[in-house]
Amino acid sequence: MTNNDDILTVVGLNVAYGESKALFGVNMNVRRNQVVACVGRNGAGKSTLLKSIAGFLKPTSGTISCNGANLVGRPAFAIAGMGIKYIPQDKKVFSDLTVQENLELGSYASQDYDWAPVFDYFPKLKILMDRKAGYLSGGERQMLMVGRAILGGPKLLLVDEPTEGLAPSIVMHLRNVFKELAKKTALVIVEQNLPLVCAIADKVYALKEGRIMAELTEREQIKPEACEKYL
Amino acid sequence: MNALRWWWGLVLAFALVALVRVFLPLPFANEIIIFSIYTMGCNYLLGRIGLISFGQPAYLAVGAYAAAFYLFYFGNNPYVGILIGIVAGIVVSFAIGPLFVRLRGDYFALVNLALAVIIFYLMQKVLADITHGDNGLWFLTSLASTPVLDLSRPDQFFIFAFLVAFALWAFYKYLDDSIFGACCLATKINEDKVKFLGYSSFKIRLFAFVIANTTTALAGAMYAVYLGFVSPEITSPARAADPVVVTILGGVGTLYGPLVGAIIYTGMKDVLSKVFGNWELVIGFVLVFIMLAGEKGIWGTLEPLIKKVFLRATGKGVDQTGSSRR
Repeated sequence: MTNNDDILTVVGLNVAYGESKALFGVNMNVRRNQVVACVGRNGAGKSTLLKSIAGFLKPTSGTISCNGANLVGRPAFAIAGMGIKYIPQDKKVFSDLTVQENLELGSYASQDYDWAPVFDYFPKLKILMDRKAGYLSGGERQMLMVGRAILGGPKLLLVDEPTEGLAPSIVMHLRNVFKELAKKTALVIVEQNLPLVCAIADKVYALKEGRIMAELTEREQIKPEACEKYL
Repeated sequence: MNALRWWWGLVLAFALVALVRVFLPLPFANEIIIFSIYTMGCNYLLGRIGLISFGQPAYLAVGAYAAAFYLFYFGNNPYVGILIGIVAGIVVSFAIGPLFVRLRGDYFALVNLALAVIIFYLMQKVLADITHGDNGLWFLTSLASTPVLDLSRPDQFFIFAFLVAFALWAFYKYLDDSIFGACCLATKINEDKVKFLGYSSFKIRLFAFVIANTTTALAGAMYAVYLGFVSPEITSPARAADPVVVTILGGVGTLYGPLVGAIIYTGMKDVLSKVFGNWELVIGFVLVFIMLAGEKGIWGTLEPLIKKVFLRATGKGVDQTGSSRR
């Protein structure tokens, strides 16, 4: 089922937290510059899927590969080093470090010190450089996390509930940023905001109780009412 | 400008230490300097990487005994003794670090305490033929006079210790402002997120562990040279909490905390023990008070107030966002 354009391929993925199984035979593939959204209720396994790809959870079986390289068993920092960046849901930044220091950490890891694209997407960060990240608002933290993750030109961004709890204007801003980012990188976004999903996604996976219930691949299929059935 | 400001602060802090030397007895001044170096390692582990260790006497003993073995059995140059103490600290930290830094919280604290107990009994009983057990190794009179600064003389040793401490403070300040310092602090705040960025948190913890414990071993080697004597008492588990207490007294993770903590702790010990047998009781009450007052320690509480006064005096207002980590 894979082709040369696939940047991420997940086949028969099973993940468990101890005795409790969270994912059952999940299959997924993401192409270059594609925005893939995962929707589903709380506990459906969306974040578990992202954490498994990012190397934070070890699958019980199945394969995850990026450009043909197997990711299963690799440590999380090595997967990040391969250009697969995970932006978690909790919006927790390094609160005791300044915005500049947070960006420096991203720069040093990826050896990319050109912050111009970050400031193009998030001009506000430029005036917050000396501020400790702990003093930022939720929206500013999300900007910082996305900005830090895009340093080094990642191949794939895994974004977990990026708009949760944010003001509508910031959600709109992030939507535009994700659209722009999709021109350069592939994105897998876990999101419950269906209008956002429908505005940016090229493909939607609907998850329920750890299983993929539907795969919407045509733009005309990706509508809030089509996704809502699985929420 | 920032660099000038912190250098100025550092010079001022050490000028105060020099004043201590003028007004207080030499042994007291020497002990403060060595104790503050001893505490720097613990302060870095706790304040920068979030690891609390009750086993710092173990690393102190590694440095002290490495220097003592050389000075008792093989040679008499105190500089070489101190160098051997540093190398021993690096070797031991790299040997056990990969095992210890995998542990978290209580387990890390206790495994280090266990190491201190092991080294105590090794030096007291198992290796008594070499270490002379509780009698210890004496080599004060056999120390060679060295050119420039003669470490066998307490007054010149003070200058040496002062310079070493100054260099270490500058080194830790440099570390703090480096990417490695940011990685350490980031690991303390959220280890998982450090991995998201592509860093190995294990390596960060390991290098921080090696740096901190090598500093402690250096303090041990300096104790050995200064006292001309080493016994198992140096790694006594009963004194395991001392560096942690001094770190908390001074202010966890602050640049001047170890110095302030060492002055207060050594001062209280010196003054109170003359008039009050159970001086540790007073330290205990002071610690409880500090914890209840906000866990910032003496320097951690004073620093913002001093900054406020400084900023008002220079008419720059008060920074609400804290642009600096110190």
